[in-house]
Amino acid sequence: MALKTAEQYEESLRKMNLKVYLLGELVKNPVDNPIIRPSMNSVKMTYSLAQDPQYEDLMTAKSHLTGEKINRFCHLHQSTEDLVKKVKMQRLLGQKTGACFQRCVGMDAINAVDSVTFEMDKKLGTKYHERFIKFLKMIQKEDLVVDGAMTDPKGDRGLSPGKQEDPDLYTHVVEKRKDGIIVRGAKAHQTGAINSHWILVMPTIAMSKEDADYAVSFVAPADAEGISYIYGRQSCDTRKLEGCEIDVGNRQFGGHEALMVFDNLFVPWENVFMCGEYEFSGALVERFAGYHRQSYGGCKVGVGDVLIGAAALAADYNGASKASHIKDKLIEMIHLNETLFSCGIACSTQGHKTDSGTYLIDLLLANVCKQNVTRFPYEIARLAEDIAGGAMVTMASEKDLRHPEIGKFVEKYFKGIASVPTENRCRILRLVENITLGTAAVGYRTESMHGAGSPQAQRIMISRQGNLEQKKKLAKEIAGIKD
Amino acid sequence: MQICIGIKYCGGCNPVIDRAKLVQEIKKLLDPEFIITTDQSSGEWDIGILVCGCKTACAYKPEFTNAARKWIVVAGHSVDMDNEPEEELADIVAAKISR
Repeated sequence: MALKTAEQYEESLRKMNLKVYLLGELVKNPVDNPIIRPSMNSVKMTYSLAQDPQYEDLMTAKSHLTGEKINRFCHLHQSTEDLVKKVKMQRLLGQKTGACFQRCVGMDAINAVDSVTFEMDKKLGTKYHERFIKFLKMIQKEDLVVDGAMTDPKGDRGLSPGKQEDPDLYTHVVEKRKDGIIVRGAKAHQTGAINSHWILVMPTIAMSKEDADYAVSFVAPADAEGISYIYGRQSCDTRKLEGCEIDVGNRQFGGHEALMVFDNLFVPWENVFMCGEYEFSGALVERFAGYHRQSYGGCKVGVGDVLIGAAALAADYNGASKASHIKDKLIEMIHLNETLFSCGIACSTQGHKTDSGTYLIDLLLANVCKQNVTRFPYEIARLAEDIAGGAMVTMASEKDLRHPEIGKFVEKYFKGIASVPTENRCRILRLVENITLGTAAVGYRTESMHGAGSPQAQRIMISRQGNLEQKKKLAKEIAGIKD
Repeated sequence: MQICIGIKYCGGCNPVIDRAKLVQEIKKLLDPEFIITTDQSSGEWDIGILVCGCKTACAYKPEFTNAARKWIVVAGHSVDMDNEPEEELADIVAAKISR
C-alpha cells in the first residue's frame, strides 16, 4: 500500500497511544476531541485529495526509491518541477482547508535530512543516510505523517545550549548506550504533532564542538514511551465546545501546535541520523528552514485565497462591492497574495541538485519569500477586516441568532443586502474573524511571523546570500571606478 | 463499439474554470458509446482530454502523449490553444470528440 485512504489514515491514528494533555487533562481520544478534530481533518485532506484524479497530479509523485506512486508529502524532490509542484500543492491544500494542514513540516524535514546525511556519510564514513533511506521507504510504503521537529525552547536566548542553567532547554543526548541513545529536552511549537505517526527530530541551531551532545537527529514513533505532548491554546479555541458551527468560523478544519517533551526517550541506533557531528548541524538547520520558508509561499497563499474570497463576499453581502475603494482593497490583497506565490515559485524554479540527488530550493529567494510572508498576510488580514466591517467582532452569537425570543432581532439587525440571509452574512464574517484573529490566525498571522524562523533569521540569510560584493563591482564598473 | 475517452487533470492549484463541472458537461453531451475514465492502467485511450485549470497547462507532459491516440487540450478558457468562453468549452470539446 503506497497510498492510504483518508479513512485508513484516521483509523491508523486511533490505534496510536499518544500522551496528549489539553486544558489540564490527559486526552483519551485525540481523534474525536472537538478541539483537536478539525486539525486532524486538515491532515486527512492530504490523503483524500491524493485519491482524487482532479488533484493527483500535484498530490502524488513517483518514488525514485521504489517506483511506486506515493503521496507527495513523502517524496524527495527529484527536479525543480517537483519543487514547483510542492508549492502548488500547498496552495491547493490551503484553499481546501482555510487552515494549516500540518504535513509540510515532515516533508521539509525528510528532504533536508536526506541531503545532509548523504554528505555526512561521504565525509565521515558514517551510515546515517542508509538508515534514513530505510526509514523513508517505510514511510512511503505506509503513507505516514512525519512531524519534523526542530525548534527547542531555548531558555536564555543570550546563552549557548551548554551554558543554560537547565541543560534540557535544548534537546540533547544524555546517554549513549550500546543499543541506542537516551534523549532529554523538548521541541516547541510542534505543528501537527498529535496527527503524526513519527517524529523526525533535528538540531535547532548550528552547534559548536562544546555543544556536540545537542547535535542530534533521530526518528521515533510519535507515541513512543518517553514522549508527551502539551497542546497549545488558540484564540477562541473553546468555541468548539459550544456545539455551534457558525461561531467557530471554520467548522471543519484547523491546525494545531504542541510542546513535545522528551523525558529520557530511548532511541535505537538504527533510528539515529546525527549524534555529535556538530559541523553538519548548521547545514541541516539551513536546509530545513529553506524548504520551510519555500512552503509558506504556497500554504499561506492558499489560506489567503480563502480570506480574499471571504472579504469579497462580505463586501457583496454588505452591499459595498461596487465602491471603488473596496475594489481597490481587494486588488491590493490579490497583489500581495500573488507576490507571495511568485516568491514560492521563483525559489523552486531556481533550485539545484544536491549531492544525494535531492533538489534544494534557491536559499536566497526562499528567504525573501518568507520575509515577505512575515508582512503580507498581516496587511491582507488588515484589509479583510477593513472590508468586513466591525460586525465581524461585535456580532451576536449563533445561539442568539437561533433564540426563540431575540433571534428575530439578530436576524433583522445583522442583515445586509435583502437577497442574502442574515445567517450567510454571519457565517462569512465569522470566517474572516477565524482567519484574522481566531483559531486559524495562529497559522495565518503569528506563524507567518515566526514559523520557519523569525524575520531576523531570514535577514541574516539574505545578508549571507545577497552577493553584495558582486553588486559593488557592478556599480564600480558603471561609475568608472578603477581600484 | 465503445470509444474510450481518458481524462487527465492538472493538479488544480488555482483554476480559472470548474474542471469537474466541465467534464460532467462533456459527459452529458456524448453518446453512450463514449466511455469516460481517469484510469490509466486500462491501456491506450482512444481520445485523451487534458483538463488544465489555467493557461499554464502544467500537466501537459511528453510522458502522457503516448497514453492516448489523440489529445484535446483544455487550458483555462481555451481548447487546443483557441480562446473560448467557459460556457462553450464543453460543446467545443464534445464536437471535437464526435468529429
